[in-house]
Amino acid sequence: MRIESHPILTFKKGRKVKFTYNGKEMEGYEGEPIAAALHAQGVKVLGYSPNRHRPRGFYCAIGNCSSCLMVVNGKPNVRTCVEKLTEGMVVETQRGKGDLK
Amino acid sequence: MMNKTASVVIIGGGISGCAIAYSLAKKGVKDVVVVEREYLCSGATGRCGAGVRMQWGTEMNCKLAKYSIEFFETANEELEYEYDIEFKQGGYLIIAATEKEVEQFQKNIKLQNSLGIPSRYITPKEAKEIVPHMDETQILGAAFNPKDGHLNPFHTTQAYANAAQRLGVEIMKFTEVTGIDVENGKIKGVQTTKGYISTPVVVNAAGGYSQLISKMVGVEMPVFSERHQILVTEPVAPMQGPMFMSFSQNIYCQQTPHGSFIMGRGDPNEPRDLRITSSWDFLEEMAKTCIRLLPPLRELRMVRQWSGLYNMSPDRQPIYGPVKEVEGFYLACGFSGHGFMFGPVTGVVISEAILGEEPTIPVHMLGLDRFEKGELILEPSVV
Repeated sequence: MRIESHPILTFKKGRKVKFTYNGKEMEGYEGEPIAAALHAQGVKVLGYSPNRHRPRGFYCAIGNCSSCLMVVNGKPNVRTCVEKLTEGMVVETQRGKGDLK
Repeated sequence: MMNKTASVVIIGGGISGCAIAYSLAKKGVKDVVVVEREYLCSGATGRCGAGVRMQWGTEMNCKLAKYSIEFFETANEELEYEYDIEFKQGGYLIIAATEKEVEQFQKNIKLQNSLGIPSRYITPKEAKEIVPHMDETQILGAAFNPKDGHLNPFHTTQAYANAAQRLGVEIMKFTEVTGIDVENGKIKGVQTTKGYISTPVVVNAAGGYSQLISKMVGVEMPVFSERHQILVTEPVAPMQGPMFMSFSQNIYCQQTPHGSFIMGRGDPNEPRDLRITSSWDFLEEMAKTCIRLLPPLRELRMVRQWSGLYNMSPDRQPIYGPVKEVEGFYLACGFSGHGFMFGPVTGVVISEAILGEEPTIPVHMLGLDRFEKGELILEPSVV
């Protein structure tokens, strides 16, 4: 399933681009939310809760709930449900709270 | 509506009110009632930056803070609290950005050391080792005391409230004081929205609203309440041990155990009309100052802002004790932004004043009459 339209966000489905998810090469469309690209590839678990380490998936999808925080291009706490995909992005699962150092 | 009788009525359910109630009950006083307009910590206590420091510029403030912080170290046990007050004793790093501050800090540290406070003056390089994400090129030096820190105001107040209630104190929440009866110069009772309480003793621990309470018994206080604002960021992994602070640069900034950063600043143009709204200006100025001194924090998103009231006294020191105009009326107010950190000592010295006991720390010079006499020692170290 691919998220094509959104009640709040507008995004253009651009050209096909490559990115990596935990080192694994994947494809998505430029401009769509990172989480949308992951979801379309069957990635349902986006993160883990900080205290009890339970899986967290797509939830609010509008950048509010912290359920989809991931490390993108080395930056922690990126809200992948509202961050747009670009060519060559390095997307990684975040364990615990993001590390700014 | 129920009418009742109390031996002491404490107005205000913040740290001061709850600590006073606990101290009185611990000394065996029965029928102590705390009256709180909203919920516990709904005023300044629950809105403060939560820092506690011994690094002050007057001997009195140093002593009051030292006593309080030493209490916080064992408060979970002393108050038999089933949770945790989350005391993070990571120190206070107070940066010196001007020559004047260098001079003032060296003077302060001498005073602090003479009172047994282990603060020391450190170089920018040493400061950088303690807070690695700071821009040390902007400072001349810093003062550091490893015994300072911060703790959770909600848990701390709840710990006091629970302990007080176990000792028989009654806490009336969502109860507003509408009047105080005085007869022949003596306290008679307190009118509230939930009935009348006959009592010979009233303690004004109403924080930002203390001047309104004093007015009810005809006591005018030279205090005003100033809005101060705070913001909180998203949480990140622990990276900052101490409270980071500057008087001249106007910032205090701490990382809570949860991982979020809490920061605030003062502004002489803030309103003094009891409003506790939030402003855009604050966000902009706060963020600018923060990322200039602590650059990596520019990556953090802020999630919320709020404000609370500093109850400002003319010399930035608390107003403690009885007043000569009305027998049975006691003040615990005018904390000027540090009422939370003085909570434990406030509880002790006010209970001693009410019971006529020898004070643990002599605070008679903190009475309201000092302003009439002009006996002021101005605290220089306030944000």
